Amino acid sequence: MKILDIAFKDLTRSFRSAFAIGMMVIAPLMLTGLIYFAFGGMSGGDVSMTAIKVGVVNADQLSADSVLDAPIGEDIRSMFFDDSVKSWIAATDFKDEATARAAVNKQEIGVAVIIPQNFTEQYLSGEKDTPVVIVSDPTLSIGPAVVEDMVTMMVDGVAGGGIALQTILERQQANGIEPDRAQIPSWIQRYGDWYREFQRDLFHHPEKAALIVAAPSAGESETADPIQKMMGLTMAGQMIFFAFFTGAYSMMSILREDEEGTLARLFTTPTDRTSILTGKFVAVFITVILQGLVLMVAGHYAFGINWGGPAEVALALLGQVIAATGLGVLLIAFVKNTRQGGPVLGGGLTGLGMLGGLFTANMPNAMPAAMNMIANFTPQGWVLKSWRMVMDGQSAGELLVPFLVLAAMGIVMFAVGSFMFRKRFA
Amino acid sequence: MKAIEVENLQKSFGDFHAVQGASFEAEAGEVLSLLGPNGAGKSTTISMLSGLLAPTGGDACIMGHSVIRDPESAKRSLGVVPQDIALYPDLSARENLVFWGKMYGLRGAELKSRVDAVLDVIGLTDRQKDHVGKFSGGMKRRVNIGAALLHKPDVVIMDEPTVGIDPQSRRHILDNVRELNQKGMTVLYTTHYMEEAAELSHHIAIMDKGRIIAYGTHDELIRMVGEQTRIDLTLNTEAEKILDAWRATQGVAKIDVIDGKVTALVDDSNRVLPRLFEVASKANVRITSVDIQEPNLETVFLHLTGRALRD
Repeated sequence: MKILDIAFKDLTRSFRSAFAIGMMVIAPLMLTGLIYFAFGGMSGGDVSMTAIKVGVVNADQLSADSVLDAPIGEDIRSMFFDDSVKSWIAATDFKDEATARAAVNKQEIGVAVIIPQNFTEQYLSGEKDTPVVIVSDPTLSIGPAVVEDMVTMMVDGVAGGGIALQTILERQQANGIEPDRAQIPSWIQRYGDWYREFQRDLFHHPEKAALIVAAPSAGESETADPIQKMMGLTMAGQMIFFAFFTGAYSMMSILREDEEGTLARLFTTPTDRTSILTGKFVAVFITVILQGLVLMVAGHYAFGINWGGPAEVALALLGQVIAATGLGVLLIAFVKNTRQGGPVLGGGLTGLGMLGGLFTANMPNAMPAAMNMIANFTPQGWVLKSWRMVMDGQSAGELLVPFLVLAAMGIVMFAVGSFMFRKRFA
Repeated sequence: MKAIEVENLQKSFGDFHAVQGASFEAEAGEVLSLLGPNGAGKSTTISMLSGLLAPTGGDACIMGHSVIRDPESAKRSLGVVPQDIALYPDLSARENLVFWGKMYGLRGAELKSRVDAVLDVIGLTDRQKDHVGKFSGGMKRRVNIGAALLHKPDVVIMDEPTVGIDPQSRRHILDNVRELNQKGMTVLYTTHYMEEAAELSHHIAIMDKGRIIAYGTHDELIRMVGEQTRIDLTLNTEAEKILDAWRATQGVAKIDVIDGKVTALVDDSNRVLPRLFEVASKANVRITSVDIQEPNLETVFLHLTGRALRD
C-alpha cells in the first residue's frame, strides 16, 4: 500500500510541474507538429496530409519530321499523374501558361509546371538549359521544392539523354557512318530504361522516394498515405526519445528528495527502502505509460497516425515503458545530484537516441550499415524496431523477440541501478 | 519505563570516529536535551536513533525496541523532526500531512482525524490547502513538526528545530515542545543553545567530540562547577602578555582566551577580581571591560572542555 502512496505522491508532483508536463507531452507533440506543418499542413479537419496541388501545362509538340512517336514533355507530364504519386500529388492539366499562372495566383494550385512548345526539339539538339518553367505559390516551401526536385531530376535525365544522343550521332559521323535516324526512338527508349534504373538505385525516382518516406507494409492497402506513415515514424521517434527522457527525469525525483531532505525523513518512517524505490519505480512506470497513451491518441487525432492493432501496440508500448524505466533507474544511479542530472540526461539520452536511430527513423536505408548495427545495442533502437514492426502490420507473435529483448534490457538495467541505489543509501 | 536507552553507541566513518561510545537514557514523559557545539556528534547520534545511520558499535532502544534488531518497531514509536524543512513544497500542508501519516501506517478515518488534529495543533487549519512552498519559514517549521506527530509517537526527536529562525517562531516551537511533553510524549531535543536546554529539559546530556561528557539535571550539572563564576575581561593589549600571571593568581580555576576575550573561571569573584586588576596594573595592562556571569551550562561546558559552547 505504501508503494502506491509513494507512487501517487510522485505522480501528483510530476503532473504539477510545468516543466515535466512540457517535456513529457508538449515537446514531442510540438516537434512532430513542426514536421507535420513543414510537409504541407492540415487540410480542414481531414486527418490525411494535403496533397501538393500541381498544374501541368504541356505545350510540347513534335515537329513534322520528328522520329519520335510522342513528345518528351509527355514523360514529364505523366510523372505527375502516375499512380505511385497520387496520394501526395494532385495534378491537373492546364491548357496554357497564363491559365496556370492565374491558378497559382489564386492559390488554386501550389505549383505550375510549364513545359514549352519546343521542349523535345531542344532535347534532341542537346541544349543544356532546361526550358521547363516552375511557377510556385510564394507562401509554400516544401511542395514547390518537391516538384522542382522531380522536374530537375527528370530534366537532368532528359538533358543527359540529349547529350548522349548527340554524342552517338557525332561519333558515328566522325567514324564515317551515316546515323540511322530511325533508330533514335529505340536509343531513347534504352537510355530511358537505364536512367530509370539508375535513379531507382540512387533512390531518386519519385516512386522510390515515396517508398523511402514510408515503405508499404504487408497487409496494408496500396493507397495508404505515405506521409501519414512518415508522420507515424516521426512521432514514434519523438515518443520514444521523450519516453526515455521522462523515465530518467521522473526517476530523478529520488535525487530531488535527497536534496529536499524528504528521502532521509522517509527513511525514519517504518517504510523499508525497497518499498520506497519500488514506489518511485511504479510512478515512473505509470508516467511513461500515460505519456505514451496521450501521445498516441494525440498523434492519431492530430496527424492521422494509424498506430496498429491494440495487442501489438500494447506490446510495443510495454516494451518501451520497461526499457525507459530501467534505463532511467540506471542513469540516475550514476548521477550525484539534480544539477548534474540535466547535462547527463540531456547528453546521454540524446546520444543514445541518435545511436538508436530515433532521429533518422524515416530513412533507415540511408544510414550506414554500422549505424544500423549499433542501434541493436541500444534500448531505443529496439523500441523503434518494435514500433516499425507494429506500423508495418506485423503480428504480436512477431513482436515477441524485440519485446523480450527490451524486457531483458529493462530488467538488467533496473537491477544494476537498484543495487547501486541501495548501496548509496545504505 | 525507559523511553530511550543508549548504550555505548558508536559510529565511525573510516578513520573518523563521530560518536565514541555515547550512553544516556530518558524516562518516559521527560524532555532530554542533547547539548553540544556544532560537530559534537549530536546529529550523528540521533541519526542512529532514528534509523538513518547504522551504528558501528553499541545499541539504542526506543520504548524497548532495539534500533538494530527491531528497527521497524523502534521507528513506529518515534517521530523525527529534522533540522531542515523536509516537506514537499509543491504539495499542500494537508497533502503533506496525509502522505507522512500514510508512511506511519495511518489510513481512512483515523488518518483524517489525526491530520485535522495536527493542523489544529500547529495552527494551520485555515491554510491547509495552500502549498507548503508558499509558506513563511515559521509556518514551514510548524508543518515540519506536525508531520512527526501524526501517529502519536511515544518519543519525538527534534534536531535543532530553532536554528536560523526568528525569535517569535522560536518561542512558538519551544511552547510546542512543552505542550507535547505535557501530553506525555518523551522528547529528545538537540541544541547548541544552552538557554533552550535549560528551559525545556528534565535531563541534559552534554556532548563533545563524539562523547557524552556530562549528564544530569540542570542543577546537577551546574553543581559540577561548584561556586565558580565566569568572568570575561577585555584588555587594551594582547592577552598572552598577562595570561600566565593571571593563571597563577590565587582563586583562578581556569583561564583562557575565547573569541578575543579573556575568560576565567574563578572561585569567588568578589575576592579574585581585585587580584586580577592588581596583576594587570603591575604588568601595565589596562582592563577595558568586565562581565561577571553566574554559573550556567556555558560555564559547565567551559569547565569541562576549556572551550566555549559556541566554538
